[in-house]
Amino acid sequence: MPPAESLVWIAGVTTIIWVGLFAYCLALTRRVRRLEGDE
Amino acid sequence: MSASSLATEALAVFAKELRSELRSRVAVNSIGLFGLTTLVAVAYQIGPYQIHEQDRPHLLAAMLWIILFFAALSGLQRVFVKEEDAHTAKTLRLAARPLAVWAGKLLFNVALLAALQAFLVPLYGVLMGMQVRGVVPLIALLAAGCVAMALTATIVAAIIARASGSGTLFAILAVPLMLPLLVMLIAGTRVAMTSPRWSDVLPALQGVGALAGVTLVASVYLFPVVWHD
Amino acid sequence: MTDKAAIGFWHWLVGAWMLLVIYGAFFYAPTAQGFVGESARIVFFHVPLAWVAVLAFCVNLWTSLRYLARRDPLDDARAAAAARLGLVFSVLATVTGSLFAKVMWGEFWNWDPRQISIVILLLVYAAYFALREAIADEERRGGLAAAYATLAFVTMPFLVFVVPRIYFSLHPDTLINVRGSIDMDSRMLQVLLAALVGFTGIFVWLYTLEVRLARVLIERQQREES
Repeated sequence: MPPAESLVWIAGVTTIIWVGLFAYCLALTRRVRRLEGDE
Repeated sequence: MSASSLATEALAVFAKELRSELRSRVAVNSIGLFGLTTLVAVAYQIGPYQIHEQDRPHLLAAMLWIILFFAALSGLQRVFVKEEDAHTAKTLRLAARPLAVWAGKLLFNVALLAALQAFLVPLYGVLMGMQVRGVVPLIALLAAGCVAMALTATIVAAIIARASGSGTLFAILAVPLMLPLLVMLIAGTRVAMTSPRWSDVLPALQGVGALAGVTLVASVYLFPVVWHD
Repeated sequence: MTDKAAIGFWHWLVGAWMLLVIYGAFFYAPTAQGFVGESARIVFFHVPLAWVAVLAFCVNLWTSLRYLARRDPLDDARAAAAARLGLVFSVLATVTGSLFAKVMWGEFWNWDPRQISIVILLLVYAAYFALREAIADEERRGGLAAAYATLAFVTMPFLVFVVPRIYFSLHPDTLINVRGSIDMDSRMLQVLLAALVGFTGIFVWLYTLEVRLARVLIERQQREES
């Protein structure tokens, strides 16, 4: 773990959260689009 | 639809439960033997002298409630599952109002737990060398815990009776709901062992009482829905 | 097509807003006093995640009660979607909180009352999904799951408010502390409130997506049945 004084670890954590949430959003959007496109 | 007729109906359900239990003794056997087995195992392996004096209130309180809790889990879930198994649930739905069924089953679970406590707690106290300075507060706590546990167990039992794989599901659903209760009961018991004053046990007692009250209100609202689903 | 344009616009707005929040969290808000290093900056993400989890469980309660009243399958799907999002955000809040605990107190996990209560919360809503899996009939599943969700929700205040009060906790004061005041630097407060708004926006976005998905699936199923 990097030293607590640096911002690196918080930046790391938030990046992971963001990427995760964003991927979740995108995957859901794509699925909804595909299913609604079938109608 | 008067209150007194509801009470009569509830008592009739309770009496029916009691009679069938006296005939088969399934719940009493499973709860009692489960409690006794774990108690013997704990008392044999740990006993009163393996624990330091200062750790006693903490550990003994926690172990007492863990034994009671798991013994209760093994028996309380049967109240509704057995109706489904014996295909008597339909008859019961026609014969009594939902609220009366719920109250009768709840009374039965309370009685079962109270009997378990009356049998197990003194035995535990003797075997584990449990010294209690606030006996009356502890009894109040046991009573409150008995009612609160039975309330949660009864409504969860009603929910799982309608699902498949009820046995494991009951533990999964009931344990997290009962954990806050268990935390407060253990904290209160620890205090009752070291202090004879009511005021020290009161926070835990209030917490348990409030949780029981909330569960009661939720059960009265939810049980008819669950029962007819 | 104005609807679609509006939705697109609002998605961009949420994105831009969150970028602003991230910038603010690292460069605008001052370093908090009394914490190890910069660790307190996690508050701008940890608190909103926990807030969204609570919000999601409230939505779950609301839709569950509505299902019990109206028996609309879509309400059941809404409740499930809200509970799923609540679980996701609770896990994220647990992870961020645990990282903060590591930096601040040296351990990821020390069974602090807050940590106990969030574990129980996760167990409760995991049990909710276990119950859903165990019931094949859809209407019965909806009713029983809604009943359990209501029961679970009423015990939540005890986890969040009562149990942490009985035991000593290392957890910093919640945003509004016991004295009923907000002790926070005003710039930090601005960023935190902005983050709350932003995360709520993301929740709404995810939730509407989940509901759209459920609606399509329900309609398709009904068509197959008829």
